[in-house]
Amino acid sequence: MDDNLASASLKRTRMRAGKTVSVEATSPKKKNNNNDKKKKKQNQTEKKDDQNLLKKTIKSANSVQTENDASHKIQELEQQQNTTQELSATDSDSDSDYQVFSEDEVSEDYESLRQSEDGESESSGDEVHGSYDDLNNDNDAGHEDQSDGSESHQGVEESDSSEDEVAPRNTIGDVPLEWYQDEKHIGYDISGKKITKKERQDKLASFLASVDDSKNWRKIYDEYNDEEVELTKEETKIIRRLLKGKAPHSDFDPYADYVDWFKYEDSLHPLSNAPEPKRRFIPSKWESKKVLRYVRAIRKGLIKFDEPKEEEPRFYLMWGDDSSTAEKANRLSYIPAPKSKLPGHEESYNPSLEYIPTQEELNSYQLMYDEDRPKFIPKRFTSFRSIPSYENAVKESFERCMDLYLCPRVRKKRINIDPETLKPKLPSRKDLKPYPATCYLEYKGHKGAVMSISTEASGQWIASGSTDGTVRIWEVESGRCLRVWEIGEPVHCVAWNPSPELPVLAASAGQDVVLLNTGFGNEERKRVGKLLQVETHTASDDSDNMASIVSWLQDDKLGGIRLRHFKTVTSVDWHRKGDYLSTVMPADILFSVYLIFTVFVYSFLSMDHGRFSYF
Amino acid sequence: MEFNIDTPEQDEKTLRRVQVRFVTKLKAPLKVPNTSIAIPSNLTRFGLSSVVNNLLQSVNPEWKSEPFDFLINGELVRMSLEQFLLAKGISAEKVLEIEYIKAVVPQKEEEPCLHDDWVSAVDGSHPGFILTGSYDSLGRVWKAAGSCTHILEGHSGAVSSIRFLKSDGMKNDTVATASKDQTLRLWKFAAEDLINHPKKISAFKILRGHKASVQSIAAHTSGDMICSGSWDCTINLWQTNESDAEGDQVSTKKRKVNNQAEESQFEGEAVSTLVGHTQCVSSVVWPQHETIYSASWDHSVRRWDVETGKDVSDIFCGKVLNCIGVGGEGSALIAAGGSDPILRIWDPRKPGTSAPVFQFSSHNSWISACKWHDNSWFHLISASYDGKVMLWDLRTAWPLAVIDSHKDKVLCADWWRSDSVISGGVDSKLCISSGMSIQ
Repeated sequence: MDDNLASASLKRTRMRAGKTVSVEATSPKKKNNNNDKKKKKQNQTEKKDDQNLLKKTIKSANSVQTENDASHKIQELEQQQNTTQELSATDSDSDSDYQVFSEDEVSEDYESLRQSEDGESESSGDEVHGSYDDLNNDNDAGHEDQSDGSESHQGVEESDSSEDEVAPRNTIGDVPLEWYQDEKHIGYDISGKKITKKERQDKLASFLASVDDSKNWRKIYDEYNDEEVELTKEETKIIRRLLKGKAPHSDFDPYADYVDWFKYEDSLHPLSNAPEPKRRFIPSKWESKKVLRYVRAIRKGLIKFDEPKEEEPRFYLMWGDDSSTAEKANRLSYIPAPKSKLPGHEESYNPSLEYIPTQEELNSYQLMYDEDRPKFIPKRFTSFRSIPSYENAVKESFERCMDLYLCPRVRKKRINIDPETLKPKLPSRKDLKPYPATCYLEYKGHKGAVMSISTEASGQWIASGSTDGTVRIWEVESGRCLRVWEIGEPVHCVAWNPSPELPVLAASAGQDVVLLNTGFGNEERKRVGKLLQVETHTASDDSDNMASIVSWLQDDKLGGIRLRHFKTVTSVDWHRKGDYLSTVMPADILFSVYLIFTVFVYSFLSMDHGRFSYF
Repeated sequence: MEFNIDTPEQDEKTLRRVQVRFVTKLKAPLKVPNTSIAIPSNLTRFGLSSVVNNLLQSVNPEWKSEPFDFLINGELVRMSLEQFLLAKGISAEKVLEIEYIKAVVPQKEEEPCLHDDWVSAVDGSHPGFILTGSYDSLGRVWKAAGSCTHILEGHSGAVSSIRFLKSDGMKNDTVATASKDQTLRLWKFAAEDLINHPKKISAFKILRGHKASVQSIAAHTSGDMICSGSWDCTINLWQTNESDAEGDQVSTKKRKVNNQAEESQFEGEAVSTLVGHTQCVSSVVWPQHETIYSASWDHSVRRWDVETGKDVSDIFCGKVLNCIGVGGEGSALIAAGGSDPILRIWDPRKPGTSAPVFQFSSHNSWISACKWHDNSWFHLISASYDGKVMLWDLRTAWPLAVIDSHKDKVLCADWWRSDSVISGGVDSKLCISSGMSIQ
């Protein structure tokens, strides 16, 4: 009910004001302006009588003061009841209704306020005594009277002023009131005496009273103190504001401007006069470091942003080739078996006419090869029943099985190599210049074919032997012929001594091998000249075998030694160190098919001994 | 004018004209008026030269026509003007500035000096005479074309190199020769002697020390030191002073005993030896006080520091090198030729100098000699076994002139008096081409 809410809020306001007031929920009643006046007047007369009676009893029981107090109390309670009634009425009613009501209320209230000032002197203290119990019984009549009478104004006044001053009369504290439900008292006053419950008005009487009382809507029942409290105008206003969800006091601004107490720009003496620190103006180092760390992490891929996930299709191609999906799987490579051809329209039991081959087509099939002939010839049947069993069923299923069985289910791994890359790279023709393409130098002078050339160790000279019977020495750089030896016989082979200390040239001509002193160098010339001296008798002393093969002869004309062999010498060569030389004589061709080479190695010792010896 | 008469005969539509202005650094009588004229763009150097001569004739009626060479943006014009502009990407819209210089062309071929054998060495560093070395192991001094004044006799092998060293106050000139008999000899003679018959002189000093043929000698600028490259892969430095060591006296005495008539001879030993080449040192030059350049058959050009005897830098060429010349801009460019017909020029100041900056390849055979002009930054000559001596200008890739006076291989060439080219070759002739005008 709305009343509950209203009472709760009322209770709160009361507690704010320092009073605990419980509002008794009374039945909601519509304010009836057209209450008949007669009834009212009759009530008033009755009430006056009651009041008189009440006054008498009070006088008899208590002092005048208490009697006064009690009467005040009664009025107050009465008014409270009225208030609650009217308040609840307004609550349940529409706003407009309440407005109208409150307007005439205001005028009434003003009247009552003015009147209450007259009777103020009488109200003093708000003590409730034990004798108060007695009054309760006859209070009921008095309630109604005071609502209209002058005393009721006092009650209004009192509730306004005295309530703040007076401490709660009931001292039981914040305990559930059910504890006192069955008791005669509602609690204890400050002196420890029981506060007895007031006698409750019967509903009809209270209703009638509330109908008559214009201020009834402002009255609420305080369960705690067991009394009726009439709310003041201000209090109702507060309640209204609360009901609207506003702040209780109208002068409270919930959206007041913020006052920056620590602002000092325009104040003479700010809280702190320190200049702004530098760090407020420079970008933060640590923040930038942090940002950098994030940037690096993003670049490295440690932080991944949510990428829209690729939605896998919930459906798949049922008859599709699933080899592609098998490749995706990371497991052992699975090669699915090839699918057999799916039946089409022509395989239907009743295909359209265009699928049915004509007789000419059937005839043409007969002329085709077995491989080319179509495997299935569509036919029409009127119903399922008339379809015969498929004559090729066994054969085809067998073939299918064989297909599956013979299908090579092994993936061949083939490396994709461009065959061009396997070819060796050919160097460009520009770089290929090992073979000279142009003739720069010619060494002119020989009159016969040049059979052999040999270069000196340093590369400065070239020796050449020719069929014209000459051995020549050429300067490499200029092509000048420096020296010519007339050997007399066609020269087959020339060889320089590889040792630079011994510029000796060996040339083979016919049966002879000639050792020539080239005469280069100053000291070398003399030494070689001394070396190339042969004592003829040493040759004759030697063993017969060797002597018959070769004989050492001095050749003064050439300035060298002539080694005469018994056969034609084709080739001469020196040992790498220049101490030995070897000659090659092919054996007589007439006697042997094979060329038997006899190799003689001559020791060319003797730089110390000053002569040649041989073995 | 001549060129204006010629042009109307041709088809004018096909003929393009270029606005040019001729400028020059030459002196007054060679200057043309500084106005721009339109000339047909198909003119070659010869055409341009005739234009300039015509212009000069119009100013000075007694002008005798002279050949000129033309520079556009520092390059010599060698094709027709149109082709040149196209090749170089020069706009023909603007007025073209063409600088003209006197063409460097030998005007006169002097009478050849005949030798008994191949001429293997020439030297024209003294303007008064020409030195030649020959395979008959004699050195010769030529006063002029055909007049031999002295014969240097004493070597037992072909003279491979000859160099003028210095002339002292007594008008005695010192000459060094290198020979294939492994020795170097120093000679002295008075060049001023006027003798009809050539006078035979003998060496005053023999320098022994090489173990193989000496290929080349180079003299220090003062003439007190010479260096020699040899087939024993070394470069030796020698003092050329007349009297230095006591050991010389021994040999002198001996010689006196043997041969009374012979003059006293000193013998010298090498001051120091530069070792580093692995093959024959075919050519050496000593252009500056501190530095010796050498070319070798081991494909390298080396720069030696004389003080330390270390080689400072190497350039590797890939070919056997026969000759080297140092000169050009700041006398820093190295020209070298060898066993292929390309004359290469390196600039060692450039970082990473392995690649030559110029390559001249008009020869047909090995290059036997190359020499820079003393005063010009651009001119050098090269001699080749194809019998030609070519005159090069760095500003163009074509030879300025080809001296084809030899019948056979040219073995040596040099500048003489800075306007002549002397060369000797297998045909036993010393050819002198004179009359070049190099500024």
